Amino acid sequence: MEVKVIFGKKEENRAIPEETTIKEVLDAMDISSEAVVVKRNNEIVIEEEFLVDGDVIEVIRVIYGG
Amino acid sequence: MKTCTKCGATPVIIHRKASGQMLCKDCFIESATEKVLKNIRRNKLIERGDKVAVALSGGKDSVMVLDIVNSLHERNIIDLFAITIDEGIGGYRKHGVEIAAKNAKKLGIDHRIASFKDYFGKTLDEIMHNESRQHGACTYCGVFRRWIINRVAREENATKIATGHNLDDETEAILMNYLEGNIDNLTRIGVKSEPKNDKFTIKIKPIREIPEKEVALYVIARELDVHFDECPYSRESFRGEVGRFVKELSANHPTIMYSTLKGFDKIKPAIKKEFSGKKVNMGNCIQCGEPASHELCRACLFAKSLNGEQ
Ligand SMILES: [Zn+2]
Ligand SMILES: [Zn+2]
Repeated sequence: MEVKVIFGKKEENRAIPEETTIKEVLDAMDISSEAVVVKRNNEIVIEEEFLVDGDVIEVIRVIYGG
Repeated sequence: MKTCTKCGATPVIIHRKASGQMLCKDCFIESATEKVLKNIRRNKLIERGDKVAVALSGGKDSVMVLDIVNSLHERNIIDLFAITIDEGIGGYRKHGVEIAAKNAKKLGIDHRIASFKDYFGKTLDEIMHNESRQHGACTYCGVFRRWIINRVAREENATKIATGHNLDDETEAILMNYLEGNIDNLTRIGVKSEPKNDKFTIKIKPIREIPEKEVALYVIARELDVHFDECPYSRESFRGEVGRFVKELSANHPTIMYSTLKGFDKIKPAIKKEFSGKKVNMGNCIQCGEPASHELCRACLFAKSLNGEQ
């Protein structure tokens, strides 16, 4: 399946396996979940949530140096 | 999908690893607000009749402080206004000042903007390019900002100055000063300042027990207008290094910042008693009239040396 990830000015479509969590996507992008807040389809989500095909993920960097 | 530990609603927006608690948006906002108000009550940070000046940068921390302290203003318990310092940092500060102004306007709060340029003749960018410069950006910024906030607060008859220090900031400050052996600075860290001179307004830290990540979550959940830009000068500091280290530790030890803060608060009276040094004779700066322990206050001393005078 595929999700769209928006991070800062970058936007990309990522192919991911079923049962992928937000945390796994962040890890794959080498982003510390402690430094960001994630919105899925415009609603804040926790990193343990599983993604669904077609989800739009917005990663907001809220802490620098973290 | 996970459900809120408090009300059972979905979706959950936070999983607090320290307690295992999971909260929906409404319960999280309520919990964070209550925690801040409790800190204010318990430490008597704000009392009826106070005139509170919020040092408002437009970043998440000060915007959260303004949002919560404003609830006391709306209930007519206190008077409130905001001060924003324009340090003059190209491409960064203008955005912050605009957002600060927007927040103050939305809440109908008086807002004062004061710039380094107006008070000291130079922007921080100009200071950093100055040949007579002897310190890092954060040192000049801290000294000049404190001077301006104190001056403006007094002009406006503020009884309290509220700043946006969060749990991460406080833990960093405690560890940093401890690691550097700067016991004198340690005696001054606290939820509420005790000024030695009546020309200094009491400073309070309402969100001192809220982790930085939760401050961010709060402003996003409340859909408040903030900027998450990084100050271009922040990377050069020792504080930044300590901050990274503490955040790294917290990943596997989620309560470490809170226990550092609580432990420090417990030993602080002892440190103060033992080390709060000789009573400095506070006079007034001969240049600007602000409190100073020497002829010139630190801000005037800095301004003088930046102008090439000895
Ligand atoms: Zn709830
Ligand atoms: Zn002075």
